[in-house]
Amino acid sequence: MSVITAQRTRKSDAEGLGSGRGRVWQLLRRNPLGMAGAVMLALVVLVAVFAPLIAPYGPAEVHFSTPYQKPGTVGFLLGTDDLGRDIFSRMVYGIQASLKVGALCVAVSVLVGTPLGLLAGYWKWLDAIISRLTDVTLAFPFLIIAVGLAAISGPSLTNAAIALGIAHIPTMIRVVRGETLRLKESDFVLAAKTMDASGLRIIFSHVLPNAASAIIVQATVIMPVAVIGEALLSFLGLGIQPPTPSLGIMLSDAQQYIFRSPTAAIFPGLGIAVICLGFNLFGDALRDALDPTSSSRK
Amino acid sequence: MIRYIGTKLWQSALTLVLASLVVFIGVRQLPGDPALAMAGEDASPEVLAAVRTQLGLDQPLVNQYLTFVGNILRGDFGNSTRTGTPVVDLIGTTLPVTMWLSVYAIVVAIVVGVAFGVIAERFRGRWPEWITNGFALVGLSVPNFWLGILAILYLAVTLGWFPASGYVDVLTDPVRGIYYLTLPAMILGTALAAVIMRQTRASMIETMNTDYVRTARAKGLGRGRVLVKYGLRNSLIVVITIVGLQLGGLISGAVVTERIFALPGFGKLTLDAVFTRDYPVIQAVVLVITVSYILINLAVDVLYSVANPRIRVGGSN
Amino acid sequence: MQHPPHLLPHAGGRRRGLGRLASLAAVVLVALGTSACQPIQPLQEAPDRADITSVPLEGRTIIEGGDLVMALSAEPDRLDPTTSSSLYTRYVMQTMCQKLYDIDADGAIVPQLATALPEVSADGLTVVIPVRTDATFADGTPFNAEAVRTTLDRALTMKGSVRKGELGPISAVETVDGSHVKITYKTPFAPLTAALADRAGMMLSPTALADTSKAFGDHPVCVGPFKFVNRVPQTSIKVERDPLYYDAGNVHLDTITYRIMTDSNIRAANLRSGDVDVADSISPQDVDPLMQEKGVGVLQVGSLGYQGLTVNVGNVNGTGKPVGTIDTPLAQQAAVRKALSMAVDRKALVNTVFNNWYQPACSPIPPSSHFASELSNACPEYDPAAAKKLLADAGVPVPYPIQMKVSNSPDALRYAQALQAAIADGGFALTVNPVEYATLLDVQTRGDFEMIQLGWSGRIDPDGNLTRFLSTGAGNNDSGYSTPAMDKLLKSAAQTIDPAERAALYGQVVEQVQADNPVIYLYRVRSLTAYSTAVAGIQTFADGVVHLSNAAFVEAGK
Repeated sequence: MSVITAQRTRKSDAEGLGSGRGRVWQLLRRNPLGMAGAVMLALVVLVAVFAPLIAPYGPAEVHFSTPYQKPGTVGFLLGTDDLGRDIFSRMVYGIQASLKVGALCVAVSVLVGTPLGLLAGYWKWLDAIISRLTDVTLAFPFLIIAVGLAAISGPSLTNAAIALGIAHIPTMIRVVRGETLRLKESDFVLAAKTMDASGLRIIFSHVLPNAASAIIVQATVIMPVAVIGEALLSFLGLGIQPPTPSLGIMLSDAQQYIFRSPTAAIFPGLGIAVICLGFNLFGDALRDALDPTSSSRK
Repeated sequence: MIRYIGTKLWQSALTLVLASLVVFIGVRQLPGDPALAMAGEDASPEVLAAVRTQLGLDQPLVNQYLTFVGNILRGDFGNSTRTGTPVVDLIGTTLPVTMWLSVYAIVVAIVVGVAFGVIAERFRGRWPEWITNGFALVGLSVPNFWLGILAILYLAVTLGWFPASGYVDVLTDPVRGIYYLTLPAMILGTALAAVIMRQTRASMIETMNTDYVRTARAKGLGRGRVLVKYGLRNSLIVVITIVGLQLGGLISGAVVTERIFALPGFGKLTLDAVFTRDYPVIQAVVLVITVSYILINLAVDVLYSVANPRIRVGGSN
Repeated sequence: MQHPPHLLPHAGGRRRGLGRLASLAAVVLVALGTSACQPIQPLQEAPDRADITSVPLEGRTIIEGGDLVMALSAEPDRLDPTTSSSLYTRYVMQTMCQKLYDIDADGAIVPQLATALPEVSADGLTVVIPVRTDATFADGTPFNAEAVRTTLDRALTMKGSVRKGELGPISAVETVDGSHVKITYKTPFAPLTAALADRAGMMLSPTALADTSKAFGDHPVCVGPFKFVNRVPQTSIKVERDPLYYDAGNVHLDTITYRIMTDSNIRAANLRSGDVDVADSISPQDVDPLMQEKGVGVLQVGSLGYQGLTVNVGNVNGTGKPVGTIDTPLAQQAAVRKALSMAVDRKALVNTVFNNWYQPACSPIPPSSHFASELSNACPEYDPAAAKKLLADAGVPVPYPIQMKVSNSPDALRYAQALQAAIADGGFALTVNPVEYATLLDVQTRGDFEMIQLGWSGRIDPDGNLTRFLSTGAGNNDSGYSTPAMDKLLKSAAQTIDPAERAALYGQVVEQVQADNPVIYLYRVRSLTAYSTAVAGIQTFADGVVHLSNAAFVEAGK
């Protein structure tokens, strides 16, 4: 369709992303915003990985006598929540949990969406079936899926992530299918066909490596949406199992006592904003780097 | 064209049947018993058995499904297990609320999103762009339940500009109806507006860099006129695409918005039905959403061809 | 037809993100700037909370008429007293459907549509209730003994009636004359009067019941100050003044609209903004700021029910079915459960989790009950060291792991997390499994839990808080608790008419529960009802239901 303008000129298939990697890095380096995004993400990931070292308290450590402390209180940098838990420590662990949800959600949508997209794009008869399934998933309210999963095995990080992942499968299928359709007509695939390569072989050794960049870019789109989606599920009581904090749970908890302690809702909100911003900036830059024709820098 | 319609029709029918099967079977796999959810803390085994018989839940699954499909074909969606109200009535009262809310939210999102997108493009690198970008950041990075509660806190409670809750039928009293829906629509439309703004701006920039616009500019056409003549038309396609794509998200958003503003809408109906295992309502809700999804996508297809005649309806990438 | 967002024409500009970075930085700076280094502000001691049950109309200038809007925290189910099982249905029904008896502000039972308390024969088998003759149903049907008989008959015989059990082993209901109803029992049944002060005592119009074209719940017709107008499902219920009501002179409002708002802070916000006049079930998190607000008042009353932990000691076949054996120390050894009860610092927990608003509880009988005694008010001592020792003596691993299921509602989750942290000192490692509401009901009746956090709204008569939970095979005995001693105690208490004797028996019941601990009682909520000071004549009773029948808008003043 007219709006899909991305056309890569690269023809070599076997290298896949290989030769591109250096170029991507270079382009990324020349894009200060992309770098800013990458730095933000790197910081967020570092915080998540080294959470136990950074956090002064455990995420579930309750201080019964000192709830609702204001930010800047001695011993509690960002104050405490309604059960006297240190908001800073919970933020640190919360970032970890939110990233896990995001990553798991991306994994689900990529692992299910990519093969289906490849098949749908390559074989027309499969396309009809897969498209109907995609339609049903898209039309199906994802909240019903989320409640269903929560009902069957209880609200948990994994279930929240799977529900969010399912909701993103259709877009992933469409992205991959679109790429496959485009690549199917490319010279190297046609060449492989004349050499009697099997369909599956072509798909995995020629189409998939070249569709990878689109998949990666789509993943950076899904990540921040998943982080917000987790907050939404937490608000409805379908989020992560307590006492593990996630930014979403912290936010939805804090909105319950927003009259009493408005600041408690600001920090998790900021945390979500930073993660989303990081992915948005980084994703934009990555797209520009991987997909030169759609770039504005020309 | 006829072939296209035919294909669309059978595809839609297939989607509907699939959706009805999925929801019918899926909902019965959930732990939790509508009889129990209905009887609550007073439930006794005799009461539960009576309720199950009354709801036909003691029948074999196949019979239940056939009854369900047969009744639907006769226009009967059954009664809510919770309140005993006919499901048709429930949908009839709640669907218009959500439709008004969504339409209002989409209008807000398009107006704000396109306007901000144009401003951002027009004032690249100056303060108006920073403000509009800040808005986009908030819209994309903040969960809307949180935004909604802040809005109630400051715009309704502290400033008293808007009612904190309530719904007035838009057809009986348009002025008050729209007034009551303003705050919810703004909250619901925020994320959409942010997406539209980003894409409008991007499409503007792209359009402004095309050869034909350069030519037009070289011929002495003013920047503002080019923006309107070429930029806006292209962004229209973008807007249609996004609205079509984001509709599912809009429904999820409506669930939360309706809950926060106590609106008697379809989203709230859906959520309550799932939480109380109100099978007839869940089934009907999914079918209604599937039908609207199909219709909206048809409409988007048609709108495409109107907005950009170069796209042939039925053309597929 | 569809386009993934990233494939849309797109242009990444440097400035776009710089602006966003700048705005983000600004927010951070503002947030940090408002906070200087400050000392810790410890939690205040709990003040004494006296019940405030009404806003009197006396001495206020009444403005007749008007529409009062009340925010309801949950949606009522069918508006049919015979089949309704939701607590919230009572809120709405009490303005429309008067009962034979009512509960006054002190928790005592007083006549409403009856004219005096029932006359019970010496053997306790015959009960005669004198009823009003001056009342009329909203549809014009006269109220009399025959109407009472029709209503009670319906409760006893209708398919799907949930009132049958509350009325006890009735063998016959007859009319003596136009103003007296006689109920005959197979065995004496003391809780009858209390049941008739609840939904079983709501009298329904025989004319409306006879009309089979509409379900009664869709157009309830009763004797009451207000009559049903309409219901918008999930949203609102409206009632209007009934001119036929026998005491219509004391009804001041034109209409009452109940609006359903499930989130506590949303109810509070609507009260502040003036969109609603009364809101029930205000969260302890919102009530302090709300009380500082001008023009807002708060009614409070301690609950008749309780919140606690139900331990599965024998529910393997489902609630109400024959009990089985669960082979864990928690289910087998009372000492382990006793240790758990001792490991809970009930007072510290309620103070923090519910901001000093709720009260610790150790028994199913509230201290405010007429049947409370020294024994029923006794509390296990908080002693984590002793709890640990009990565990060690019982020969179980310490920390002892327990899986607890809990509703995913915010208040329940908050308490569960605090509990988890608090009982660690006493040698327990609690895992909290939140479960969505309908699933919770399901696992609870299937016995699919080790321990579950449950509450009970409470009944005036202690029997309503006990028998159904603790006697063998009872409808809410989710614990699967079954001991002949307890069954016998509960049965004789229910059959004893003399209040002092009953109180003593219930003291023994509590002693037994606290020894066996199938249910570990934790706290009692307070029903917090907030109202705008532009209205008066609101009452809230011990059952938590808000009464609006005599409410009125009043001129500012006082």
